[in-house]
Amino acid sequence: MASADSRALRFYRALLRVLPFDFRGDFGPEMETVFHEQHKEAGRRGGVAGVLRLWWETIVGIFKTAPGEHVAMFAQDANFALRMMRKNPGFTLAAVLTLGLGIGANSAIFSVVNTVLLKPLPYEHGDRLVTLQQQAPRAGMLGQPFSVAETNDYRAQSHSLDGLVEYHNMNFILLGRGEPERVETGVVSWNYFDVFGLKPLFGRNFRPDDEQPGAPAVLMLSYEYWIRSFGGDPTVVNKTFTMNDKLHTVIGILPPVPQYPDENDVYMPTTACPFRSRPAFIANRQSRMMRVFGRMKPGITVSQARADLNGVASNLQKAYPKDYPPSIDYSIRTSALEEELTHNARPTMLVLLGAAGFVLLIACANVANLNLARMVRRERELAVRAALGAGRVRMFRQLLTESFLLALIGGGLGLLVSWGGLNLLISFAARFTPRAREIHMDGTVLLFTLAVAVLTSVLSGTAPALAARDTVVDGLKEGGVQSTIGVGRRRLRSLLIVAQVAVSFLLLIGAGLMLRSFQKLQHVDPGFQPENVLTMQIGLDFTKYNTGDKQRAFFESFLDKIQTQSGVKSAAASMMIPLNGTMRMTGDFQLEGQTPVPGQKLPVADFRVVSESYFDTLHIPVLQGRGFTRADRPGVPDVAVVNRTAARHYWGTQDPIGKRFSADNGQTWTQIVGVVGDVKQYGLDKDAADEIYVSMAQNPLMDAMLVVKTETEPMSVARGIIELLYAMDPNQPAAHVQSLEQVRAESVAAPRLTANLLSLFALLALTIAATGIGGVMALAVGQRRHEIGVRMAIGARPGEILRMVLGQGMGLALVGVVLGLVGALALTRLLQRLLFEVGPTDLLTFVGVAAVLSTATLVACYVPARRAARVDPIIALRVE
Amino acid sequence: MSPAQNHDESTGPLTPAMFHVLLALAGDDLHGYAILKEVELRTSGKVKLSTGTLYGIIKRLLADGMIVERRSRPAEADDDERRRYYRLTERGREVAAAEAERMDEVLSIARARHLLKKPRTA
Repeated sequence: MASADSRALRFYRALLRVLPFDFRGDFGPEMETVFHEQHKEAGRRGGVAGVLRLWWETIVGIFKTAPGEHVAMFAQDANFALRMMRKNPGFTLAAVLTLGLGIGANSAIFSVVNTVLLKPLPYEHGDRLVTLQQQAPRAGMLGQPFSVAETNDYRAQSHSLDGLVEYHNMNFILLGRGEPERVETGVVSWNYFDVFGLKPLFGRNFRPDDEQPGAPAVLMLSYEYWIRSFGGDPTVVNKTFTMNDKLHTVIGILPPVPQYPDENDVYMPTTACPFRSRPAFIANRQSRMMRVFGRMKPGITVSQARADLNGVASNLQKAYPKDYPPSIDYSIRTSALEEELTHNARPTMLVLLGAAGFVLLIACANVANLNLARMVRRERELAVRAALGAGRVRMFRQLLTESFLLALIGGGLGLLVSWGGLNLLISFAARFTPRAREIHMDGTVLLFTLAVAVLTSVLSGTAPALAARDTVVDGLKEGGVQSTIGVGRRRLRSLLIVAQVAVSFLLLIGAGLMLRSFQKLQHVDPGFQPENVLTMQIGLDFTKYNTGDKQRAFFESFLDKIQTQSGVKSAAASMMIPLNGTMRMTGDFQLEGQTPVPGQKLPVADFRVVSESYFDTLHIPVLQGRGFTRADRPGVPDVAVVNRTAARHYWGTQDPIGKRFSADNGQTWTQIVGVVGDVKQYGLDKDAADEIYVSMAQNPLMDAMLVVKTETEPMSVARGIIELLYAMDPNQPAAHVQSLEQVRAESVAAPRLTANLLSLFALLALTIAATGIGGVMALAVGQRRHEIGVRMAIGARPGEILRMVLGQGMGLALVGVVLGLVGALALTRLLQRLLFEVGPTDLLTFVGVAAVLSTATLVACYVPARRAARVDPIIALRVE
Repeated sequence: MSPAQNHDESTGPLTPAMFHVLLALAGDDLHGYAILKEVELRTSGKVKLSTGTLYGIIKRLLADGMIVERRSRPAEADDDERRRYYRLTERGREVAAAEAERMDEVLSIARARHLLKKPRTA
């Protein structure tokens, strides 16, 4: 019976643990006594049933009481914490600001990561979409588009897909709404949006009959274009607009979704494209123009689809050996659309998330240190409270509540910070992924922020609270304001300082490497002079300018007129301008005198069509022979100019001038008349490819980029040139009017912004760490006034004291730098993909960062050190 | 304004269980177990407090100054040192009296409306 009694008591004691610690402390033993008597009586009077009933009532009673008691306890702690925060506004402000910036950086970056990397694509079938690309690496073709015949074959023969749709981009001219407008148009299969699982916001999707030859022309508006051009007016559905020579009816408006591969204004079915509809184009298996997207059947994985589609590829090789000779190594690349849309963003976003995490760690370490410092001043208060009976756990809880409230307020501030920076971040992310438009603050971001705040309070509050718990008892014993702090606690503070310096070092290295990389990128010679060059895109109305002669005549006359404009030095046109997008026209060719050997790779180069004064206008040096002239016209032998890389690659030491090549299997031959310098076409960080320039007079363009060298600020002549254009053809728009300098700046905007963001984080870290180290040294000096006084009384000079304090601060900084160095050596490899011509262990960066960090800590320590050196020994000793 | 209303505003409503504890202590200073027994006895077993509920109430009554812990203890033979004795304070007595008065008024109304057959004497 006695053992049954003690078992019951043990169980009851366990049950009491549901109640707050303080409650148990106050009433626990008494409750045990009462329960013991109740238990005895229940057994005596009611037997087993009575005891069971007592247990039931007791358990219910305790579980009913507990929640209220916990809330009351927290409210009491929170109240006290708020009072303490008001009493120490300096500390509170420093802690809230530090945590706010740390948490804000994380919320902001997380809102991007959450949308871009974590959320599924906002299409109904997003996880089943794949993109297909043909590749023939030995013919220099990667990411090759599809011809109509190929699209049909893959659609018919694949077993893993239940939908395969095509896409290409062209431009139409919208008339009748003020100035003519170039409208970027996605030309797609009728079931394109069905396959993506997109339902229009208003109106209807395309139907099979929209894609019949001769069907009435229809339009689907993109959400952005609808908002921009029609102010979000839903009645635009069923209205008609003149585009080129035809009336087009708006049938629907797309929801706001990422557009890939291009941001289009409108979409049309394939029959709207006159080139895509030409019988000769459809019949030619080699006329490749379209991107292809597939939707996997439910349950099919990407690797299964890949295997299936490669099976189709080998069928094609067997069926059409002439089009896919074994020598070109033909295959098909299948990748998840989600991966395709986000892989550019991933490395940068993860690096930034890591950097933001480091900033938060520093912020936590700093607030922990502030807390520890404050603990010294609160030692007496805590000791008194301990003496008055507040349990250690109670005090621990009190201090954690304070940290939690600080972190919560910091979190609120952080949300404001990230909300304020969101638009900047969206435009930053847009340089990496079309998903940027989806970025917003949502419940997940709020939850994340709350979680970070809780984590922060634990990180910044636990160590000081534990330290306080251990030294609370000593506090009273030693009694005075001058009470010595535990060695352990001083060590903890030093450790936190070292950690802050180490992590700051890491961040500064990251930022330094990115800045150095960007600086190198800025100093790359692009091979042309972008200064004072205006560019604009002229896409001729393909209905009106439907022959090469008409196109040539238009551009020649237009360029001649521009040349006569005041302020214009020279003008030219080209298929594309350097550093603007990734569009390239790669083709193979054969050299005269070399019979192609079956199975051997043909020479490959990027072809560029340029007008007569192109090289002059962009100051691309002609190294040998000549550039293009008026004499290079139709009817005379075709001529070409190669870049230096191609000349070296294909002709080596021979003189390429006068040599001939054929890009059409020997049917026609083109003679090389000059060699020009290499130009960075695809990015300042990309090496020049083999390039062959051909004459625009001999290869007319319908859609061309103008380049105009001006005497002064290029944008100042833009309007005059557009007026010239309207004078020639009032229905002909110009688009993408910008200076070549802007184009170049744009091409390095992503690395520049990444470097800037990382620098911002690093500066934040440096500031927090430096003020932290200064604060800790100031506190140490304050506590050691007496000791310093003694030292000075026995003959130490102020200079020695200064050096002593500086030495201690710098000693900590040095340990931090060494640890940071080790960390940086291990971590900067992760940055490698983002760096250009700078190694992840770049000596200059490491030395520079070490110098910056040391200087900052030196300055931060100097103020308290000087105060120490000015201690008056008499006053310091008198305190004793 | 009646004292009961005043009480409501300053420290929150008096629950029936709290009122019973105050009533139990109105007679004599009691320790926890004795309070439970007294309440049970006075209500003929209709109100049975569990330890959790009782000490939740004691904590609140202590905090509100309606009861205090008694300093003096009974003669050693009767004492169990883990027991604590509680005494009704002047304030506690006022609050309990106000509550009783309020109930009395309610009962008068109930009687006037013939909801109670005859007045009962305690």
